[in-house]
Amino acid sequence: MKNLSLYKLSTLFKTQYANMLEYRAEIALWAISGVIPFFMLNIWTNNGLNESINISNVMLSRYFLSAFFVRQFSVVWVVFTFEEDALLGRVSPYIIQPLHPFIRYFAQHIAEQITRFPFALFIAILFFIFNPQSVWIPSLLTIIISIFSTFFSFLIQFLMQSIIASFCFWTEKASSIEKLLFIPTLFLSGLLAPVASFPYYVKTWIYFTPFPYLIDFPATILSGNQTKIIEGILMQLLWIILFFFIFNKVWKSGTKKFTAMGL
Amino acid sequence: MSKNIIEVKNISKSFTISAKTPGLKGTLRHFLNRKTIEKKVVKNINFEIQEGEIVGFLGANGAGKTTILKILCGLLYPTAGFISVAGSRPFERDKSFLEKITLIMGQKQQLIWDIPPIDSFYLNAAIYGIEKKEAMKRIKNLSEMLEIDSELYLPVRKLSLGQRMKAELLASLIHNPSILFLDEPTLGLDINAQANLRKFLQIYNKQTGATILLTSHYMKDITYLCRRVICIHEGYITYDGKLKNLLTKLSPNKDISIICKSSKDIDNLKKLNLEIKNINDNQITFTINKLDFKNTLKNILSKFEIEDLHINEPPIDEVIGKILINKKIK
Amino acid sequence: MNIKKYLKVYYYFNYSSFSIELEYKINLFIDLVTSILGLIGSVFLLSIFFSNTNEIAGWTFNQALIIQGIYTILNGVTNTWFNPNLKEIVKHIREGTLDYVLLKPIDSQFWISFNKIAPTGLIEIVLGVFVLSYCFYLNDISFSISSLIFLIITLICSVSILYSLWFLISTTTIWFVKTWNATEVLRSFLYMGRFPMDSFSLSLRIFFSTVIPITFITTIPSEVLLGLSPEWKIILEVFVATTFLIISRRFWKFALRFYTSASS
Repeated sequence: MKNLSLYKLSTLFKTQYANMLEYRAEIALWAISGVIPFFMLNIWTNNGLNESINISNVMLSRYFLSAFFVRQFSVVWVVFTFEEDALLGRVSPYIIQPLHPFIRYFAQHIAEQITRFPFALFIAILFFIFNPQSVWIPSLLTIIISIFSTFFSFLIQFLMQSIIASFCFWTEKASSIEKLLFIPTLFLSGLLAPVASFPYYVKTWIYFTPFPYLIDFPATILSGNQTKIIEGILMQLLWIILFFFIFNKVWKSGTKKFTAMGL
Repeated sequence: MSKNIIEVKNISKSFTISAKTPGLKGTLRHFLNRKTIEKKVVKNINFEIQEGEIVGFLGANGAGKTTILKILCGLLYPTAGFISVAGSRPFERDKSFLEKITLIMGQKQQLIWDIPPIDSFYLNAAIYGIEKKEAMKRIKNLSEMLEIDSELYLPVRKLSLGQRMKAELLASLIHNPSILFLDEPTLGLDINAQANLRKFLQIYNKQTGATILLTSHYMKDITYLCRRVICIHEGYITYDGKLKNLLTKLSPNKDISIICKSSKDIDNLKKLNLEIKNINDNQITFTINKLDFKNTLKNILSKFEIEDLHINEPPIDEVIGKILINKKIK
Repeated sequence: MNIKKYLKVYYYFNYSSFSIELEYKINLFIDLVTSILGLIGSVFLLSIFFSNTNEIAGWTFNQALIIQGIYTILNGVTNTWFNPNLKEIVKHIREGTLDYVLLKPIDSQFWISFNKIAPTGLIEIVLGVFVLSYCFYLNDISFSISSLIFLIITLICSVSILYSLWFLISTTTIWFVKTWNATEVLRSFLYMGRFPMDSFSLSLRIFFSTVIPITFITTIPSEVLLGLSPEWKIILEVFVATTFLIISRRFWKFALRFYTSASS
């Protein structure tokens, strides 16, 4: 029995990976569209703004490069895929298969991250060529912890979006809701500016939200700036458990409505 | 004498496609070294069509029918040859040419999905430079012919497939084109809708003298509407002429089943030297050439007393199916 | 070129789009909130930049707000006129209905560019105008006829450049069908238009003046408003806008030649 589910999962991954290879050009473009952090870095360092928040140019460069990587490996788009599937009537066959549909989307995301890795690496190398003073190799332990933390960030975002995706059972506007919630994610997660630079009145409440744990926390681990690693990881796990619980509830209720009344 | 409205001379069309083997290795190899194949889809075809004709293009999937149609309306330009439609070179797609033609593709719609067809009609009228008053007149006329009325004021998404097809037709004809190109127009329609479409096209042709070219898989479309067919196989024209003659060429025979009173009659009938298809108890079936049919029948009826008889022609679909499988027809 | 005909057809394009969109009122609300949140977030980010300094690259916070206002207006223009048509052409290519567009006796670029409008984007334009008006007050800007004329000219040029960029991407649909990724790349580069060009380093400034000419889209019109823009910059912008428009048209014709020789 265990062999069967392992086999199921590995086949799923292999197919999704082959699928993703067909879309190399698109994926390369996605990687490029993640360059906003570098432009932000440019504004920071070019105008010496980072001196006031006590972060050196080098540290800031490392932060934004780390933020770029974290973003590349935690970006989620499941709500758009699910909405399209729902509109085209593909949800019905998925629901009657002995595999939770979202595992399918999960595999898709992981496969794309693997496909994306070489492009992200290439961009990182380019970055180091232009910024030789920022070159650093984190310790193995740091790398491992940041990989875990990035994966947790991915899980949080995946679950958050899956909850919104489940709203497709009730409304056609699920992707618009996601676009709405994307904005606080963009600004508060640390993608455009490290949380360290935020004004005091924001820093008081921001750590009660999941946002800083999405980019800022993993990126500061990787760039060597994070002190409260254990507390942060625990918070990430907490959010994962919470969202998982909510997702299950919403999904169950959604499929109930779907099987009772259709979309 | 009607003049030629379409002239096609030595037209050929080739596409270049990239050749790629599947799998990871193939993708990488293809990425590094792009190979292309040239595929000739239309090979040196010639034909002329006169004003007011209804011509059917017959052929298997991939034979080149749709490609030829697209070349005729200007959506593709030929790799070689000369073509003239309504006095213009189609691929230049100049305004006067476009105002004379219309293209209707089965399963592909031009109506805007969320608004009533009538709004799409007025949009089309504006595009073709038809004044609103004149447009209203034409819409009324066409909707009477198509037997569609109040449906035109509902959003397209709320209409049934048959109603949508009628609305699509109206939208395509509002500018009174003199040439109609139809690509699989009855695809996906139910039997009634198909019959309605055929009837309408025939009436439209009679009333306006428009030239109609259509491709179809449904034999009924071709047999109902087209006196002339052009058969395409692998890019070549294998037959261009009257449908009647084609059918006679391909199915020269009729079957006649005779039910006799006794098996003695069957034995006597056997002696007639006719080709026997099968024998079943008291029933014997002969295959007789259509040209000899009348005489043979007279012969049988005069010499034998029979209980009953059936006359059977192999279904046209079977006949035409033969064309789709076989090659050149002599 | 029958102007009357094109105006009439444009009227019908708008009419059909409006009647579709007004069926979905909730869209208006969500789009309004999204635009407001986007603006708040960007101003928040700007305030972080300015938290310990009064001037960045010669721009004060109040002056930088002008750029945010112009960006908001232009973002609204993009969402109203360019985005919906991009979605339409993807649909046409996917469903094979581009043929119908090509067979109509009307310029295909006109059709593809103006067929749909998303009225909800107009809200963002209004939002931008409010911000801009507030900036006039903040910056104590006085109006002269000439500055108004120059502003209109540069805004028209900005819209033309934006239009050309979006249309170039729409055209690539003919080869790639899925353009979401190219769109995302353009969007992320354009986002930099919220900030003064001078705050970037030289190499990026060059990039943002040539490949993705954000300098001309947001910064120069803002400079015009502040009376800081020398005449030659305005002339340059007109030149750039015209160049981009020509490129987009040429590219479209090229794509059509490809489409009509390759589709089967």
